[in-house]
Amino acid sequence: MRLLRLREVKAFFQGHAASHQLGWNWIPRLSLSPKGLKILAASLSCCGCPTGKGMSWAQAILLARGLSRGWGGICSTALTGAPFSQVTPQAPRGLHCSTAAHNPDSPLVPRPPEPQRGLVKALAPHEELFRQAPDGVRDKASFVQAVQNFTQYNVHKRGHVDFIYLALRKMREYGVERDLAIYNLLLDIFPKEVFRPRNIFHSIFLHYPRQQECGIAVLEQMENHGVMPNKETEFLLTQIFGRKSYPMLKFVRMKLWFTRFKNINPFPVPRDLPQDPVDLARLALRHMEPDLSARVTVYQMPLSKDSTDATDPTEPHIVGIQSPDQQAALAHHDPARPIFVEGPFSLWLRDKCVYYHILRADLLPPEEREVEEIPEEWNLYYPMQLDLAYGRSSWDDYEFNIDEVEEGPVFAICMAGAHDQATLAKWIQGLQETNPTLARIPVVFRLSASSGELLASSSGLEETPLTPPEGREEEENNQQRQQQSQS
Amino acid sequence: MSGCGLFLRSAAAARLGRALVAFTASRRPLRTSPPSQAFAKELFLGKIEKKEVFPFPEVSQDELNEINQFVGPVEKFFTEEVDSQKIDREGKIPNETLEKLKSLGLFGMQVPEEYGGLGLSNTMYARLGEIISLDCSIAVTLAAHQAIGLKGIILAGSEEQKARYLPKLASGEHVAAFCLTEPASGSDAASIRTRATLSEDKKHYVLNGSKVWITNGGLASVFTVFAKTEVVDSNGSVKDKVTAFIVERDFGGITSGKPEDKLGIRGSNTCEVHFENTRVPVENVLGEVGGGFKVAMNILNSGRFSMGSAVAGMLKKLIEMTAEYACTRKQFNRNLSEFGLIQEKFALMAQKAYVMESMAYLTAGMLDQPGFPDCSIEAAMVKVFSSEAAWQCVSEALQVLGGSGYMRDYPYERILRDSRILLIFEGTNEILRMYIALTGLQHAGRILTARVKQLKQGNVTTIMETVSQRVRDSLGRTVDLGLTGKLGAVHPSMEDSAHKLEQNVHYFSRTVETLLLRFGKTIVEEQLVLKRVANILINLYGMTAVLSRASRSIRVGLQNHDHEVLLANIFCTEAYYQNLFALSQLDKYSPENLDELIKKVSQQVLEKRAYVCAHPLDWTS
Repeated sequence: MRLLRLREVKAFFQGHAASHQLGWNWIPRLSLSPKGLKILAASLSCCGCPTGKGMSWAQAILLARGLSRGWGGICSTALTGAPFSQVTPQAPRGLHCSTAAHNPDSPLVPRPPEPQRGLVKALAPHEELFRQAPDGVRDKASFVQAVQNFTQYNVHKRGHVDFIYLALRKMREYGVERDLAIYNLLLDIFPKEVFRPRNIFHSIFLHYPRQQECGIAVLEQMENHGVMPNKETEFLLTQIFGRKSYPMLKFVRMKLWFTRFKNINPFPVPRDLPQDPVDLARLALRHMEPDLSARVTVYQMPLSKDSTDATDPTEPHIVGIQSPDQQAALAHHDPARPIFVEGPFSLWLRDKCVYYHILRADLLPPEEREVEEIPEEWNLYYPMQLDLAYGRSSWDDYEFNIDEVEEGPVFAICMAGAHDQATLAKWIQGLQETNPTLARIPVVFRLSASSGELLASSSGLEETPLTPPEGREEEENNQQRQQQSQS
Repeated sequence: MSGCGLFLRSAAAARLGRALVAFTASRRPLRTSPPSQAFAKELFLGKIEKKEVFPFPEVSQDELNEINQFVGPVEKFFTEEVDSQKIDREGKIPNETLEKLKSLGLFGMQVPEEYGGLGLSNTMYARLGEIISLDCSIAVTLAAHQAIGLKGIILAGSEEQKARYLPKLASGEHVAAFCLTEPASGSDAASIRTRATLSEDKKHYVLNGSKVWITNGGLASVFTVFAKTEVVDSNGSVKDKVTAFIVERDFGGITSGKPEDKLGIRGSNTCEVHFENTRVPVENVLGEVGGGFKVAMNILNSGRFSMGSAVAGMLKKLIEMTAEYACTRKQFNRNLSEFGLIQEKFALMAQKAYVMESMAYLTAGMLDQPGFPDCSIEAAMVKVFSSEAAWQCVSEALQVLGGSGYMRDYPYERILRDSRILLIFEGTNEILRMYIALTGLQHAGRILTARVKQLKQGNVTTIMETVSQRVRDSLGRTVDLGLTGKLGAVHPSMEDSAHKLEQNVHYFSRTVETLLLRFGKTIVEEQLVLKRVANILINLYGMTAVLSRASRSIRVGLQNHDHEVLLANIFCTEAYYQNLFALSQLDKYSPENLDELIKKVSQQVLEKRAYVCAHPLDWTS
């Protein structure tokens, strides 16, 4: 038994040595307290491991964790010469708790512990389970089939941890990453009752750490996809790991924090974004515009899909939004002052980036602002202002600590399939129909390149954002660019 | 004391049409003397102007006999010949009913006698209103005709205009309508779109535009129309200003829309009126060119007080009908009238009717005093109180009646529908509350200016004075404004109530001072505060009115005056505690003041334009 236990610890540690490269990213989230670690260390040392080797495992666990919590500086010396050569190179990185964020293509799921050379072959059969799907259909049914095949084929559930890690990685391909039933199915693979701690020492030490970590990985992936565990998950976890286990702790924390964070965004974005760019633009514009009485206008529809090429640059879509208040503000705009078309600015909707342009004016200089005066004969029923010599006392003046930066008015927002001046001029023309005064106001196009960062990050998506205009608008040829929009 | 002396009225009887007696109220020329200090405004300063409200206004025995002679036939007509149910169902007042009303002289109740009207004083007008309101559709039709429709001509018309229009209007040959509301303009005079332009020869104005929700719009042949005209200022700039016109239907270009389908008062005619190139002679300008705003304000302010007595008349009738039901309907071998919860409702109805009647006749009496007093705040308070009490009482009456209150075969649901409009028209109650509070605060603010300035500058004596005042207040000193005691205005049986009134008035004035100090002129934006100020003032006025009336009843020895004392004491006590609560809500840090929370909730709801909360059955995911 002892031998087996030691092997478990070893396996755990090997796993962690590898996962340390990913920055131990589950530990900070679980936030094991240092106090708990000390207890762990203390109990390890007092449980009387007969071999000095056992002692050093325990130390190593402690030290490796300490590293991840930023204790690297203190502990790194102790690690030199330790039997885990993988750990030492990580020591300087100990201060960064999460290195995973630096690697853009790493999935959010922690990688399974990198198998040692000998185990590589063991993974292959599981891969095959997923390749078995007939006629290559990848859906929920085939995923479930693969899982069932594993459980039937492998009655002893040998290698189930590896299989679960593999299945977690495959979930996206099968489009089941948001399916709670599938997660429960994966948890159901674990043998029941085997990993439950049976006495206080079991629960003090990480009992079957590799399995527990795998269980956490499943919950972690659920967390990343916003899947709330349910009663069945709880039931499975108690059956597999018992109440006093780390997966259970994770589960409880998910139950607590999900409810708090689920609706933390006051401007929720629908989970499935529309595919049609016009619909997407409509959604994005509504998302940005606070005024609910604003109207979305489609100024130009894109060429239909069945034409030779859907993204014909001559006919990109133009969708704009304008509220009645903005219309009124534009009607009162002094025609002597130019207004500007600016953009493209980026807006992220879940994993999609869209670009928009705004029509805005500069803030009036203070001396030209008209003071809005209350007409003398305005309200038929009650006085709109009192003829008193004194105002609000500072006691009731809540404005004193509010610092407001005034910006110029925004008159309209648009999203177009192309970001060149010709397309945006069409938008302005469309706006003129509802805003006749716009015809008399000079419009200056101040278009900039959209930021490269956004382009790069969204390049992987199926819908590549259209390239920003090549020609830069320079200040010196502003005069030429100034368009009396009649032209 | 000098009760009857207030009514300087010669009781010369005149015959009009049929054998009707009319009374010559002493018609005063407009604005001969500065308006006397109004009662309500002084309450803001912690003063009770006793000579304004004590004793309760009276009419002489002769006048009373004469009005009763007149009231008799009108009442008979309304109870026997007017079929309210039919009027409501058909949405029209039958022509013969209208003819009868005209022959009774009810179309010219306040038109001076020399123009063929009855020339009733405000008190007499209120008395008749009690009876007319037995049918709300007729009451509204008549009110639109004379309380606002032709009132402009009486208040601001020239002699020629009066002589030309009033006789036919008084006889009912012509019906008048008041055209102010527009699709884009309710109480906002700046957004009036109807326009009158002076013709080339400067003899006509050409009127264009449309008005909505005009009562009598389809019947009327004389309209008081408000339109924008270009007016040259004293400094030479051209401005758009509102001007009032008298427009006859015969001028041409006037079309009425189809009658609106309404919730209540279905017998009255309400429709759109369109003016298209209507040529109005320059002689028909009412008041001055550009002075239409004041004309409109005066008309609106003058018409409100009569609602109190009208609603009281309606309520008295309702109490009779409901009590009849409650005393005959048996449940569990007991009459409904034996159940406490039913009894409570009757006490409430009686109390409300009593208070509004007192307020209405007190205000009418004040208006009848010489010197053309400005009682617009009082009138607005009567309107607010009576309309809300009407809604509440009718609703309670329906509760007593149970299912039969809901059925169309009975008159009760019609009364409920009819009374709903009272809270809306003639200025919604919300707007009138603003008017009540702001007008009073303006008055108080002007007088307290010096004090507030000294306090703000930190004048030591003023501050010490204020502090010592506050300390004395907080020690719970007794406030004595001289209502009780030997030769006091209030009868000793209501001494407690009088003390409550005095105390409320005193602390109200303190709160007003604090509010002015805190908000200054920006109090206009604090509508929740203003609402409470108005509510307190309405209660104070109601308390004064019932105390004054009940005291008079005891002294004169009227029948059942002990019942009046009961009602007065109930109302005063209830109002006292309401006032205390409202006053504590006006404190900045009081736990009763929930304004911040209320504002937050409404802000969030209005931002989303929907109910914000998740469904109670929802899960997080």
